Amino acid sequence: MSLLRVDKVGKNFGGLAAVDCVSFSVGEGEILGLIGPNGAGKTTLFNLITSTFAPTGGRLLFRGESIAGLAPHSIVRKGICRTFQNIRLFPRMTALENVMVGRHPRSGAGIWGGVLRTRRQRNEEADIREKSGELLALMGLSGCGDLTAGKLPYGHQRRLEIARAMAAEPKLLLLDEPAAGMNESETREIQSLILAIRGMGVTVLLIEHDMSLVMKVCDRLVVLNFGRKIAEGAPAEIRANPEVVEAYLGREEEGEDGDA
Amino acid sequence: MLVNVLLAVSIYVTLSTGQLSLGNAGFMSIGAYASAILTTAHGMPIPAGVLLGSVLAGAFGVLVGIPALRLKGVYLAIATLGFGEVVRAVFINWESLTGGAVGIAEIPQMGREILAALRESGFTPETVGLRSNQFISLSVFLILLAAAVLSTLFFLRLSSSRAGRAYAAIRMDEAAAEAAGIDATYYKVLAFSQGALLSGFAGALFAHSTSYISPADFTYHRAVEILVFAVFGGSEHLFGPVFGAMFLTAVPEALRFVSDYRYIVYGIILVLMMIFRPQGVIDQALLDRFARGGSPGGS
Repeated sequence: MSLLRVDKVGKNFGGLAAVDCVSFSVGEGEILGLIGPNGAGKTTLFNLITSTFAPTGGRLLFRGESIAGLAPHSIVRKGICRTFQNIRLFPRMTALENVMVGRHPRSGAGIWGGVLRTRRQRNEEADIREKSGELLALMGLSGCGDLTAGKLPYGHQRRLEIARAMAAEPKLLLLDEPAAGMNESETREIQSLILAIRGMGVTVLLIEHDMSLVMKVCDRLVVLNFGRKIAEGAPAEIRANPEVVEAYLGREEEGEDGDA
Repeated sequence: MLVNVLLAVSIYVTLSTGQLSLGNAGFMSIGAYASAILTTAHGMPIPAGVLLGSVLAGAFGVLVGIPALRLKGVYLAIATLGFGEVVRAVFINWESLTGGAVGIAEIPQMGREILAALRESGFTPETVGLRSNQFISLSVFLILLAAAVLSTLFFLRLSSSRAGRAYAAIRMDEAAAEAAGIDATYYKVLAFSQGALLSGFAGALFAHSTSYISPADFTYHRAVEILVFAVFGGSEHLFGPVFGAMFLTAVPEALRFVSDYRYIVYGIILVLMMIFRPQGVIDQALLDRFARGGSPGGS
């Protein structure tokens, strides 16, 4: 059964259809790539899945249950976590604290627990700290725990954001251009991290412009252009699809067709 | 005065979720009036009055906090300032309940009540070498000190816990906090009403230590004064506003001749701070330096 089903989902901003009747599904344990030119509606689709705003049409089903219109934090509780295209860490916290914040939906201490430091709260806090440390290590950031997040190098910040998202133990992880702005060796690290995350039983939905990375890690691809799905299939099929090539590079014979 | 420390903590609490509220003078007056009316007109004991006054202010905090979610930054500041003025206008005009502009006098005073209670059990202040009025001031001071220390400790501990991390995350990036699974609505309303409750508590204690209150005690000058504590001391860490409150209350006491010009001095201090140290006197870097210098094992 599919983990996430996007069913004829649409989103209009004024008269503009940013996402228009898009349908696809993500299978359990899959790495699905979401690609398309700039402005194709990929990030908008992420925002719809994480309920940053509600769709104007269609259904979003996570494990068979409708999630459209839920509060963003409830979506996280259900098991969908995300990273952002432009990194959004908590800059004045340490790296470890960032990940500890990510643990929020998987812990429960309230105000009184925090103030009175009950035994349960102390145990939970120790557990949060331990799990967060493990995640930092997994992301190759073990030495950075006490450093201020905003001062970390760019590549570290990207990985820290993934660690924070992983702290909530998602079933489905949405990565928005994790390799953007990275050099080749950093991109290779991201590639093995994505595979490691899948190895932990987490399904990954990936937006990425780095085609070599997409072709290597993704099981299937969904291609968007101007808010519509134009193709879906295995990486090799997509590469050979004339419509996809056209969306990225323009048409060969009609030079005066001005849109790109 | 230690009441100012409580007020400084109260503005810090709402600020720690990124909400700048100037309504704390209004919440303070709600706490003060509620407790004053309950103890004078209805004969309630002081602790019950203080408790109910704080809770009532906290409840108003929830009522104001929910619509306040829609406002950010200066818009929120102006709206909450307006709330404070509305509360004051109500207290001025609801003469049958509040005594109007004249205010409420003969509010039971904490120190005197304690002394009276102790006298009944045969204790006199002279046995510990104090005159009655000295004993009264001392007991008021001790109660306020305990309240200030306890509330500071409360929020200090809170800030290093799960809820405190949620506050800090919302302050730094609300959308990212929601994406990390934090219910921003809940925590923002919670912080707002905690601030309101603490202001109400401060107001109630204020009423029972001066034993006379009037709407003039809760003007917008008060609201700005509380803000200045946070701006001067720094709003990054709880110690900032607390330091600001203590320093700015102590200075006019020490330099009595400037006390008439207090607001001019505040203005000058604010301008200078904005030029030379926009983050306030106390920031995280300064505290880290103290922690390293003081105790090498400290976190």
